[in-house]
Amino acid sequence: MTFLAPWAFAMAAFAAAGMVVLHLVARQRPAAYTLPTTRFIPDQRTLVSRAATRPRDLLLLLLRVLLLLSAGAAFARPVLAPSRGALARVILLDRSRAVASAPDVIARARTLVRDGIPSTIIAFDSAVSVIQATALDSLNGSSGSPTIGSISAALIAARRASVVLAERADSVELVLVSPLAASEIDAATPRLRAEWPGAIRVERVALRTESSSTWRLEQALSADDQLGPAVAGDRVDANAKITRLVRHEVTADDSAFARSGATVVRWDSTSTARAAAEGLALGDDVVVAALGRRVVSGTGRAIARWADGSVAASEVSLGSGCVRDVGVAIPAAGDIALHPPFQRIVRGLLAPCNRTVAERAADSASVALITGTTRNAARADVLRGRNDRPSPLSRWLLALAIAFALTEMLVRAKAAPEVA
Amino acid sequence: MSTGPYGALLDAVRGVRWPAARRVTGATLGAHPSQLRGNSSEFSEFRPYRQGDDPRRVDWRLLARSDRAYVRLTTDRATFRTSMIVDASASMAFPLPSLDKWKLAREAAVGLASVAHAEADPVGLAIAGQGQSVLAPRARRSVLLEMMRALDATTPAGTTALAPFITAARASRLVVITDLLGDFDDMLAAARLRVASRSEVIVVHIVATEELDPPAGAVLAVDPERPTMRRILDGELRAAYRDAFMHWLDDTATTLRAAGVRYVRAMTSELAPHLVRRIAGETARRGA
Repeated sequence: MTFLAPWAFAMAAFAAAGMVVLHLVARQRPAAYTLPTTRFIPDQRTLVSRAATRPRDLLLLLLRVLLLLSAGAAFARPVLAPSRGALARVILLDRSRAVASAPDVIARARTLVRDGIPSTIIAFDSAVSVIQATALDSLNGSSGSPTIGSISAALIAARRASVVLAERADSVELVLVSPLAASEIDAATPRLRAEWPGAIRVERVALRTESSSTWRLEQALSADDQLGPAVAGDRVDANAKITRLVRHEVTADDSAFARSGATVVRWDSTSTARAAAEGLALGDDVVVAALGRRVVSGTGRAIARWADGSVAASEVSLGSGCVRDVGVAIPAAGDIALHPPFQRIVRGLLAPCNRTVAERAADSASVALITGTTRNAARADVLRGRNDRPSPLSRWLLALAIAFALTEMLVRAKAAPEVA
Repeated sequence: MSTGPYGALLDAVRGVRWPAARRVTGATLGAHPSQLRGNSSEFSEFRPYRQGDDPRRVDWRLLARSDRAYVRLTTDRATFRTSMIVDASASMAFPLPSLDKWKLAREAAVGLASVAHAEADPVGLAIAGQGQSVLAPRARRSVLLEMMRALDATTPAGTTALAPFITAARASRLVVITDLLGDFDDMLAAARLRVASRSEVIVVHIVATEELDPPAGAVLAVDPERPTMRRILDGELRAAYRDAFMHWLDDTATTLRAAGVRYVRAMTSELAPHLVRRIAGETARRGA
């Protein structure tokens, strides 16, 4: 058993020792003695000091010492500590789009868990998921996430996971397997990094640098098309992927086109659906405008949503390409097509499937911020201290202290009255 | 007559005489010299005849020899009403559990009463305690038993003033047996009045040896008549206590004697027969 606040128990032990001393040397009222000539005694003192070689009132002393020790132990927050190892490890695996090679990240993680140190593996992109070390192989076949990574989210998850590991080890090492792209570091990252009471070991992997973001529509839009302003400024190169925009149901020809690796987008933007104030979100872009809704196919993956959570656009993979169904109707009148957020949403909906973007590595200052100045792993007691929950033993010890206090009062009340 | 625990005491004081300190004024024939001079057979002196003297008291033989008229004077003897006033306040119940002060007070009262009763003096008793008991002076044989029963039935407790008993006593000789820890000033004033009226007032001051020498070690002394008075008595204060107590004893004796009261200090270590003989003997010497 260990104490989370051992100073409280030390204070109680000190007070108990003082209590023993008080019982040895006490200013006390001696036994009463009937003396008719009391009036001739100088009225000077009502208490006398008496030192003894053995404590007086042994039962009271025992109760008082037990009261102090149990109360001190309760406030010292005792915990029944399990057997611990020297080191545990939290491994943060970057699965975001910034990683050039997802298998490389898995290989690094496998190397880390091979040394037998108890580890918790947290895979992250914009979200986090805790996986078991034995489940690493299941990640082998999957490609990286197309979403942006968030080291802040990973640090929060690591902090939570470390509390559990801290119960089994004296220190916890945090390993970050990531290319450390600039896009993965946000304003919250420095503060969250400061919350980690130790060094962060960074295992840097290759950063994705190639981009497949250039694309073009198979057929140019008419001049009065509402989607025109969104795609008007795009620079198109010779190797750009092709997106077919259809206003009708997808035909067999369209499907065959998608299977060949192209992208087919079914978007009847001129639908007569009644326009209402709606919120539309795609990625980080949100627009609130008078838009119409159309029911989209529910079989695909949602890539855009309305403000109420319903799907505004879905995507179904087909061969090496995909088919998208967009249920957003744009009113004929209005300037929504000129708004940059809306234009970014349109470009995202028309962009090719499996689009990749080039990432920029974080600067040296950011990397230094994440690695930190210390070289030591985080101490388990520090990690536990910030997230300790009261032990049930504390309540029982406190109840025991109250019981001792009541017993002490009863014993004191029932003590033999002073007799002459 | 069953005298119970007082039997040995009564045997020890048998034959002791306790004469009055001065001539008594009573008319009843007794053992104490009376202020009156009359027709008794105990010749005292001759005195020249003065006009108004009873011619029957003229000594005619002396007249025939000296040709001068002398009156023959004789000494009358009378009884002396004696009353015992016993302090039965809580302070007399000391030390616990032997109650030596109360025991000595009882035995002194019974012993002195028996001595007075043996001289045919009427004796009475007043117990100044919670259960007050007053026996008027009587000369009958059973009065001693009544006194013994009354004293044995009394347990010292509470606080009772002695002055009213001194004032109300119907006797010429008052024996106040007390520890003087009660209403001393009032008692002194009442005693002064009785002395002024030619009564003989004797104060027997009962002092326990434990009062002079309390037990060793620190104790919380509690006044039995004033329980709120609680004071620590330990080695450092013992000397101061003893000095104050002795000083008070001396002052008290001086004050009482100055008021015409006969003061007798009685320690609880003193045997009752010895105390009775001391009181009666001193009186006899003073009377002589």
